[in-house]
Amino acid sequence: MLQTKNISKVFQGEQVLEGLSFRINEHEMLSILGRSGSGKTTLLKVLAGLETADRGQVILEGQDITTVPANRRGIVYLYQEALLFPHLNVFENIAFGLRLRKQPESVIKDNVYALLERLELPEQAQKMPEQLSGGQRQRVAFGRALVIEPRVLLLDEPFGALDSETRTNMQDLLKGVAKDYGLTAIFVTHDLKEAMLMGDRMGMMQKGKLNIYDKQADFIADKATGVLEEAQFWINLQDLKK
Amino acid sequence: MSRTVKAMLVGLILFPFAFLLMLSVGRQWPYPALFPQQWSLANWAMVWGGSEGLSNSVAISVLLSTSVAALSTGTSFWVSRHIAYHPKREAWLSMAYLPYVFAPVILAACLQFFFILAGLYGTFGGVLVAQLFITFPYGVIFFSSFWNERLRNMEQLVKTLGGNSRQAYAKVLIPVARGALATCFFQLFLISWFEYGLTNLIGVGKVPTLTIRVFQYVNEANLFLAALASCLLVFPPLLLLWVNRRVVFKG
Repeated sequence: MLQTKNISKVFQGEQVLEGLSFRINEHEMLSILGRSGSGKTTLLKVLAGLETADRGQVILEGQDITTVPANRRGIVYLYQEALLFPHLNVFENIAFGLRLRKQPESVIKDNVYALLERLELPEQAQKMPEQLSGGQRQRVAFGRALVIEPRVLLLDEPFGALDSETRTNMQDLLKGVAKDYGLTAIFVTHDLKEAMLMGDRMGMMQKGKLNIYDKQADFIADKATGVLEEAQFWINLQDLKK
Repeated sequence: MSRTVKAMLVGLILFPFAFLLMLSVGRQWPYPALFPQQWSLANWAMVWGGSEGLSNSVAISVLLSTSVAALSTGTSFWVSRHIAYHPKREAWLSMAYLPYVFAPVILAACLQFFFILAGLYGTFGGVLVAQLFITFPYGVIFFSSFWNERLRNMEQLVKTLGGNSRQAYAKVLIPVARGALATCFFQLFLISWFEYGLTNLIGVGKVPTLTIRVFQYVNEANLFLAALASCLLVFPPLLLLWVNRRVVFKG
């Protein structure tokens, strides 16, 4: 479905991406774990067409989209911050992409109300962004992306600014929505547990290099991911209690 | 603050306006009379009647300042965005300060030759272009603090949602910047409205704005007409201030 071939990028003398080649299947969510500065965001921006790679190719459904501008790729990039348009209410924020495509009013209403229902936001349709909680804002941001039926959804630490309870709710919601809508997505996070919860497959990004694990067991077994270290911490804590 | 002090402050602010209004309807004011000895609306009748060319000056000033403010606000908004995200942002921005290194009149004197060459000397278009040399960089400096990473992300988001640059401006950036655009337009209107040096030098008296008229009447020691022209000069900015306040605070 989405494939990259040998993507590399140097920024201010630093190798940000180094020969990245990987593939994501249709309706699959790949979670990528990585520390700040590991190149995760740059990779997503290259895939979205917001940054250009120095070398390599991005192929979507068999078509080379390396030079296709961002607005013609059908790949939506979601930021950590919901970035709702402050002058539009919830309904209009979600309808934004459909209005850009000049869809008929009846189509806009049907699609937006269906999404509001699915995202548990039907009561909030007429509210302005500043009247919403952090979790509600992020839901609206999902709705705004989903309404245009993106070919690929790129999520850059979307729950990074949420409290732990809201974060858990949002993870459940996204998993459900991804299944319902058959989403193809890349989910970037620096949270180990979140990476394992969200991804059908997992990847680890370090110093511009990406290692993708086909099986969860391989991801756990690799010392670099830190899963074993984390598990040992909790085991030790359990032992101390005894 | 006590009511008396408040009333005194309001009185101090309003006094010059009231004084100008009084002078504009006065005639004959010999020393040591406290007030003019005759009162007449004849001066104001001249404005509506078209004599003295004051109504023409009002029209020229409104057209000139509106055009200068609209052109500068629009172009500086667009240019400042490109400067803000340019790797050499500081170098480009420092160029915007260049027109202010010289006094406007010196700048005009330097540009005079080119205006003569282009056939713009002593024309409305020439004065408009000359004022842009001052107002456009001001707009660029004004908007330089407006752009930030969040707006840039918002603009990129519009693109990944399928919008082009024009749609990003029309549907997001301009509505979000409405308050800043209104404030910038207002400030540039005022700069143009009260501009004297450039207008006088490039217009060579053939573009009689209200500000030029006020100076002309003052030089002629025509106290009452100078007051009348000053009243006309003050009214449109006050109106714009009121409109601007409503737009900015509503936003």
